[in-house]
Amino acid sequence: MSILYDEGQQAIATESRRVLDARMAKDRLLALLEQVGLADQPFWDTAVEQGWTALAIPEAFGGLGLGLVELGLVAQAAGAATSGAPFLTSGYGLSSALIGSGNSALQQAWLPRLASGEVTAAIAFAEGNAILPAQPAVALTGGKLNGTKPAVVGASSADVALVWASAGGQPVLTLAELAAVERRAVSSYDNTRLHADLTFKDTPAQVLAEGAAARALALDVLARMAVVTAHEQVGGAEALLHIARDYAITRKAFGQPIGAFQSIKHRIAEMYGLVEIARANCIHAAASEDQPGFLIAAADARISATEAYDTNARDCMQIHGGIGVTWELGLHLHMRRARSLAAEQGNLLFWEDLLVNQLTGEAA
Amino acid sequence: MSEIETFRDKARAFLEKMAPKYGRDARVGNTVEQDLALGREYMAARYDAGFGGINWSPEVGGQGLSNMHKIAFDAEEMQFGMPVQFFGISLGMPVPILINYCQDKAFVKERVRKALRGEEIWCQMFSEPSGGSDLAALRTRVEPDGNGWKMNGQKIWTSWAQYCDYGVIVTRSDPTVEKHKGLTYFWIDMKSPGVEVRPIKLAGGDSHVNEVFFDDVRLEDEQRLGAVGGGFGVALHTLMIERYIATDSAGFGPHLDEFVKLALEVEINGKPAIEDGRIRSAIARNHAMRAGLDSITKRAFLMMQAGMQPGPEGSLQKLVAVRSRQKLSELAMDLKGNAGFAFDPHAFVKTDWGTSWLNAPTGRIAGGSDEVLLNTIAEKVLGLPQDHRPDKGVPFNQIPA
Repeated sequence: MSILYDEGQQAIATESRRVLDARMAKDRLLALLEQVGLADQPFWDTAVEQGWTALAIPEAFGGLGLGLVELGLVAQAAGAATSGAPFLTSGYGLSSALIGSGNSALQQAWLPRLASGEVTAAIAFAEGNAILPAQPAVALTGGKLNGTKPAVVGASSADVALVWASAGGQPVLTLAELAAVERRAVSSYDNTRLHADLTFKDTPAQVLAEGAAARALALDVLARMAVVTAHEQVGGAEALLHIARDYAITRKAFGQPIGAFQSIKHRIAEMYGLVEIARANCIHAAASEDQPGFLIAAADARISATEAYDTNARDCMQIHGGIGVTWELGLHLHMRRARSLAAEQGNLLFWEDLLVNQLTGEAA
Repeated sequence: MSEIETFRDKARAFLEKMAPKYGRDARVGNTVEQDLALGREYMAARYDAGFGGINWSPEVGGQGLSNMHKIAFDAEEMQFGMPVQFFGISLGMPVPILINYCQDKAFVKERVRKALRGEEIWCQMFSEPSGGSDLAALRTRVEPDGNGWKMNGQKIWTSWAQYCDYGVIVTRSDPTVEKHKGLTYFWIDMKSPGVEVRPIKLAGGDSHVNEVFFDDVRLEDEQRLGAVGGGFGVALHTLMIERYIATDSAGFGPHLDEFVKLALEVEINGKPAIEDGRIRSAIARNHAMRAGLDSITKRAFLMMQAGMQPGPEGSLQKLVAVRSRQKLSELAMDLKGNAGFAFDPHAFVKTDWGTSWLNAPTGRIAGGSDEVLLNTIAEKVLGLPQDHRPDKGVPFNQIPA
């Protein structure tokens, strides 16, 4: 379904953008690129202070009881600012898994602390280039996890992880505290994503779901996170559209603004088209949460948003010419983020396959 | 259920009843003349059932409903493949302009009724050999002639002119002022002496567009719509009338389901085509793009229902949908291999990949080429500068040819 944002939702969009505009600083983000394992703390403090961590958690657990539409709007603002902590999405992923599991003891234990921002989560699904491997190498035996999840987003500082593992040939979705888990921070092209290898050695874990139910729940969690990320990508892509337009209006060459050349203005008009198509898909997907067709809507949002952000990062730099590739201007913050978000929550290859499977009635 | 949804249900019930006689399947094998005769019959039935002039005022013979009712009806009707193509422009632009600008109300009422019933068809004569996108560069000339006017010149790309009874036309009445200031708008009787219509056969084999020649055609001053020199404004008004029309994210070509069906039927290298990554990627990308356009349409509809102006993103529809239909049609033909060579020029664009492919260039040019649409988005939506325009501020007769 498609919706028009109501007043409350519009206020969330405006306010989150206003707060981030005031508090985000490009120089700080640029410096963090060269630091391994450091989060953008001011962003995370802002998220907690503004109650963004509580947005999509039910009121019974200390949350605000809102949903994917509202969280998506905050993610869009965060994307525009290339804000630097991955926990908004991963915390939502874990809380969705807890709610979906129906395990009230675990909900009581974790949801209030996720809502307050007291704990942060990582989603340890992927191995290699598979976001949801059929046979995860990380194994659960006797309630304990063993094995390594490579380059998990947020893992260099997260308190708890949602882990996709195997148990006796069946997939399981488990929850593990990370205090005693070995973490090896990965130096990446987008370091505030806090990538780290997680090596589990007899790590106690609790099972949220097993077998087919585990796969269905993991896929639902992934789709929800993908919709949040798609909003973040739209925010980034739209910011790049505006940066490109503003530059094309002010920069002159051959006696006129470069935006008067069709090679430039048409490129920017195409950037606009990608943003609007992705935005429309995001709104549709967020408003389709818990409804039939959600997976298809999530895939549409994810595919179009990934295309929009990658393309706009590429084209915005191209439109800038030499200045666009300098460290100082910082367009590469978007270029880097476009790629890290493109690979988080399943890449284009995964979502294209999932979408076609859905359209042809095959099981995902 | 909202009032619009009730109306939509009523429309669907009507269309389902009409489909066996007038729908896509009933039209297979029709010549253009047979299809036109069937179309006229359908239009009369549509009018009699209360679906003619849905959003026009009852004073001129309309139903007095909103734009949204009209869009809802059109979106439903599009599913059935009714023979309405002859009447789309007629009722979309020339007749509404006549309603707005013609002073002779009795004449208007009679024309509206006949146009709605498909008894008369109107064409719109804007483009010329010297200017399509650049409308104000037109050269068809009118000169005062007694108490009326005398017209000479040529129009081109005029849809269905060979079947039209009337038309609206923009002409140059004063070549000594800036190009868009010297234009005057008229309606004309297409059967007037000196009017000659010559069909143009298009790449796909059909001839729905024409050249129209004017040789000392007499126009009464009562046929003038708007002020002398005010023609450009009336022309712009024409283009604004149906800004929010029923769109089709398939670019008026086949539905993506048709492509998926084809990919399930054929093989590539001994394996089902649906398992081929290239095919899967094309399906997924097209689905995501079309879903986005559909969502834009639905939100535009919600905005209109809420009394708001829909956003400018609606301007993406034709640009994005038609060019991707062109590529998808090529890929579908590749999937068919030698089986795709067979070609039926009368097959429907919405169900046949070959026809969809060969007619796609027309869709990318008519009603604003891709390039003009990109310019419009860049300038009007994003505020980028206009192109270099050497003809700006120069009297028409001093513009270097």
